Amino acid sequence: MSRETKAFVKGVKVSDRHGAGEWSAERLSSLILVPLTLWGLWSGFTLSGAGYDAALDWFRSPVNAVLLALTLLVSVWHMQMGLKVIVDDYIHKPGSRGALLGLIGLLCILIAAAGVFFIVRLALGSAPLPAGFGI
Amino acid sequence: MSTSPLPGDASNDPTDDQTGRFVVQPNGRVRPLSPHLQVWRWHVTMAASILNRMTGGALSVGAVIVFLWLMALAFGPEAYATFTGWMGSPLGLLVWFGLTLALCLHLAGGVRHLIWDAAVGLSPKTADALSWASMIGGVVVAVAFWAFLFSSGRVVL
Repeated sequence: MSRETKAFVKGVKVSDRHGAGEWSAERLSSLILVPLTLWGLWSGFTLSGAGYDAALDWFRSPVNAVLLALTLLVSVWHMQMGLKVIVDDYIHKPGSRGALLGLIGLLCILIAAAGVFFIVRLALGSAPLPAGFGI
Repeated sequence: MSTSPLPGDASNDPTDDQTGRFVVQPNGRVRPLSPHLQVWRWHVTMAASILNRMTGGALSVGAVIVFLWLMALAFGPEAYATFTGWMGSPLGLLVWFGLTLALCLHLAGGVRHLIWDAAVGLSPKTADALSWASMIGGVVVAVAFWAFLFSSGRVVL
């Protein structure tokens, strides 16, 4: 029955379930990523061939650390949505589709969580890993 | 009513058509086959759209490489030297260049899609022009980026 319900906005049929939200989220994330990517290109330019010490110095600036963390998180969000659309388009078997989407989700969470962890350590000037983490 | 002649042994009668342009739908009705990639005329808007998806996929690999850079930096000078040893080699620089190219193309393509999503620039002529502009612009920015990298001496082969 719920699949029969039809939502209309200004006379135009809109998705009954979460499709419209996913569509908007992908656009919102790309809109945020436009300035962040330009900043990322500039940062990549300044860090290229600069060496270890210069890279550490770069992370001491809170602006750089915060913007990089933001870029990482929004990028991973955008990447997860983009890969999901590709999988949705080409993988039709529910089992493989679900497994692949789960794998992509896990990878994204890993990159986001560990990436922010590294950025925070670098911004605080912590000792190189694995300091205090065994070994 | 079809005005242009049908190719080869095609027939207007779907029941004896041999070209595969018609398919029997699950409800038993015969309907024309929807246009698939193999039978669709190449068009620049189509190529630009496919390119945007391909560069997006490539950038997922790029995200992993940038993550490894972060990890190497967090693990100290020796790990960082190993990373820059790999990614600073000619082959590594080629990978970085490919990622820059994918990033610039995906950025320009993304802006193009945002313009279209705002229901602007959708006439065939403007859509074609936007597609060409985004692809050429992406390549130009990526090449210029690397020209500056080499000319400033930050990167050497």
